[in-house]
Amino acid sequence: MRQLFAPGADALLRLALLTLAACLAALPVVGAGLVHSSYVTGVGVAPAQPVPFSHKHHSGELKIDCRYCHTTVETQATAGIPPTQTCMTCHGQIWSGSEMLEPVRASYAKDQPLVWTRLNKLPGYVYYNHSVHVTNGIGCSTCHGSVTDMQLTYRANAFEMSFCLDCHRNPEKYVRPKDQILNMSWSPPANQATLGPELVRQYHIRGGERLTECGICHR
Amino acid sequence: MSGTTIPRAGLLGRDEDFASIGRAVTEAPARTRSRAWWIAFAGACGLLGVFAAALAWLLINGVGIWHNNNPVVWALDIVAYDWWIGIACGALLTSATLRLTGAAWRSGVDRIAETTAILAAAAAALYPIIHLGRPWVFYWTLPYPNTLALWPQFRSPLVWDAVDIISFLGVCLSLWYVGLLPDLASLRDRAFGAVLAEVEARGRSRRLTLLKAQAYGILALGWRGASTHWERWLMATRTLSGLALVLVVSLQTGASVMLAGTVLPGWHDTLLPVTFLAASLLSGVGVTAALCVLVRRALHLEALITERHLALMARLMLSLGLASAYCYATEIFSSLLHGDAYDRGVLVRRLSGSHAWAFWIIVVFALLPVQLFWFGAFRRSGLVVALVGVAAAIGSFGDHFMLLIVTLSHDFLPSSAHPYSMGAWGLATLAGSIGLFLALLLLGLRTLPMVSITETRRFAESHPDGQPSGERAPTPAETAEAPLWGVSAEFDDAGTLAAAVKAMRARDFGARIETYGPVPMRRAADALGRPAGILPLLALGAALMGGIAFMALCLYATGFDYVFDVGGRPRFSWQAFLVPSVSFGTLCGGLTALLALLFQNRLPRLNHPAFAIPGFSRASEDRFFLALEAAGPRFDPARIEQALARLPDGRPLMVRRVPL
Repeated sequence: MRQLFAPGADALLRLALLTLAACLAALPVVGAGLVHSSYVTGVGVAPAQPVPFSHKHHSGELKIDCRYCHTTVETQATAGIPPTQTCMTCHGQIWSGSEMLEPVRASYAKDQPLVWTRLNKLPGYVYYNHSVHVTNGIGCSTCHGSVTDMQLTYRANAFEMSFCLDCHRNPEKYVRPKDQILNMSWSPPANQATLGPELVRQYHIRGGERLTECGICHR
Repeated sequence: MSGTTIPRAGLLGRDEDFASIGRAVTEAPARTRSRAWWIAFAGACGLLGVFAAALAWLLINGVGIWHNNNPVVWALDIVAYDWWIGIACGALLTSATLRLTGAAWRSGVDRIAETTAILAAAAAALYPIIHLGRPWVFYWTLPYPNTLALWPQFRSPLVWDAVDIISFLGVCLSLWYVGLLPDLASLRDRAFGAVLAEVEARGRSRRLTLLKAQAYGILALGWRGASTHWERWLMATRTLSGLALVLVVSLQTGASVMLAGTVLPGWHDTLLPVTFLAASLLSGVGVTAALCVLVRRALHLEALITERHLALMARLMLSLGLASAYCYATEIFSSLLHGDAYDRGVLVRRLSGSHAWAFWIIVVFALLPVQLFWFGAFRRSGLVVALVGVAAAIGSFGDHFMLLIVTLSHDFLPSSAHPYSMGAWGLATLAGSIGLFLALLLLGLRTLPMVSITETRRFAESHPDGQPSGERAPTPAETAEAPLWGVSAEFDDAGTLAAAVKAMRARDFGARIETYGPVPMRRAADALGRPAGILPLLALGAALMGGIAFMALCLYATGFDYVFDVGGRPRFSWQAFLVPSVSFGTLCGGLTALLALLFQNRLPRLNHPAFAIPGFSRASEDRFFLALEAAGPRFDPARIEQALARLPDGRPLMVRRVPL
């Protein structure tokens, strides 16, 4: 019998099989990489805003309190976006002729709110309450990152379920004293291992098992 | 093993030999090019259209179209799933048991049984996905690093189903494909023969003919029928059969123990797993028997699937039918004897409630028709065997319907009782999945050998014609100068081959000895003294490791990483994790057996010097070749030729030098 396949056929078939195997192996790796990439999660991406508002300038350098603008963060589910009037309390006096602030003055004059591009958004089936977290030892920077260092505001964390669960399973690793809530450069102190459980008791946070019940977030 | 074995009585036509078996099977698909095939295929495609419509309607409206309600949350979706997987398990168990016990009559049955198992499992595989409600996220049932920081619920049958189905398809496809390898080599050689004939006649071959030969060649992965190939092939098929046996029993009893583990009346019964297994076996054997009759008639394979095969299948159905009847009777009897009020209530609802038709379908279709097989005339009638086989499958559907619906629609509380009526879309989905089964089957009839050539040949006697195969040998001018790969000798009988191997091995020719043939050559392999392979050990090791790894994964996930209270069940509920662990273990073992077979045999190898042996295409038909490959400075073709010419018992038909 003469050969049905040329001598090179083996190499080709093996190459094809190896390529197939490599593709199959690469599929989950590429998929995981894509899902965790900033292209999908939006982490670190600062979208264009009507006005290039700088948290770094306002709350970092000028030390304006977070709550000056986000007035309901301690009392309500949402932290609140300031109305144009809040901007104008200062910018009626300073930089009142700035070209950069023209949209703000236009908004004020026409009595139409500025439309900001939203950065941090949770799905509709997640019930998140700012006041519960802020008044029970979870600081702003835990979720929003060091906002005072952001020239243009970007998303600091992908708000995937695993991000929430990390904290809900081990709250003692993330709670801080009440006076540290607004501290944007807070990192767990050396004695967090002893301080954390103490704070959890103090705030009456009911352990990991209770906090991971589905109904805590999905109601 | 081959040439001198007496054909088992009645399992093969009187005049069949190696060559005629190969011809009968490889040429059979040509007989499906008939109007009947096209009509059947059109019908199957019509049912596939119904399936597409049902799935589209499901995606638009959700699982409510099946009339699922509370408390009947599992309705025709799970009934049909259990039914298909029961048929698949029954068929695979039949094939695996026959192979492990070495029953001679598996020759006509095992390929059909394995095909039934694969197609039924493929139809079943769709159900767990489509009944999810959001079928496009079916992969949520698998453990993979997701962004939710959650594990799938390993105590849930949904996860078991996913792992079970994947494992079942993996093991079953491996067994089927390994069995198919030598047959594909046979098809390849016949197709290549057609190519060569065209070249002879017209100067060149048609493109399609060559493509067909190459397609079979790639699928056969360069199988050459070397004795080492065959030895490992035997071990691989037996290992895979053993794994399939474990998988099937674990899968069927796992599903039924899950039901029996609840407190619901009608399910809470230790006999349930046995009843389940017996009923599924009956349906699997029934469908296999019906397909045997179909294949026999459609492909005119009366000589390979004989009346005796049918009679043996009929006897098997009869015994399984009796076992099933015994199980049902015991269940009823034990309910009457010591069942509580709820248990007896279920019995009454089964026998005379609104779904009593399901019970009577079992009696009329599964338990009574098999009684015909007490009579020899019915056992030998293909039509009766096929009809009873299909009836057994219908009866099995009644069984799954009764088991799930009657129990679910009425538990302990009168307030939670709710009637259930079958919806048209549930039936349409079922009919559609039958269409899928039939369409794939008809395509298989047309392209693949539906009867195992190898297994049939192992019980055949070859009729040696004493003529050397006709292919032109390389001329002395061609071999005088060219580097030699080796010297080949052609035999028409495995016994003479083994004797020649023994004689040649006694002397040192500086050559590596290998034999090639169409069936396992046990005596030649013994004479060659091949060391026992470790393939079964590798597979067993992989199966154990896979099973343990999966169990460890479940225990870690539910015991440490994500402790989640499900009805107060313990953190380490290892019993619930046994089913997917066993399934995953067998999958690992099966894939290891398949890969070990290929790697140890150095396959795939499409181009090999052995293929250049003159007349080698008959190594997959009815000839045996002895090859002495040059391996060392002492290799001298002239000496070998002399030795071959002076063999004590039986001279080779032909001795040839094979150029590299």
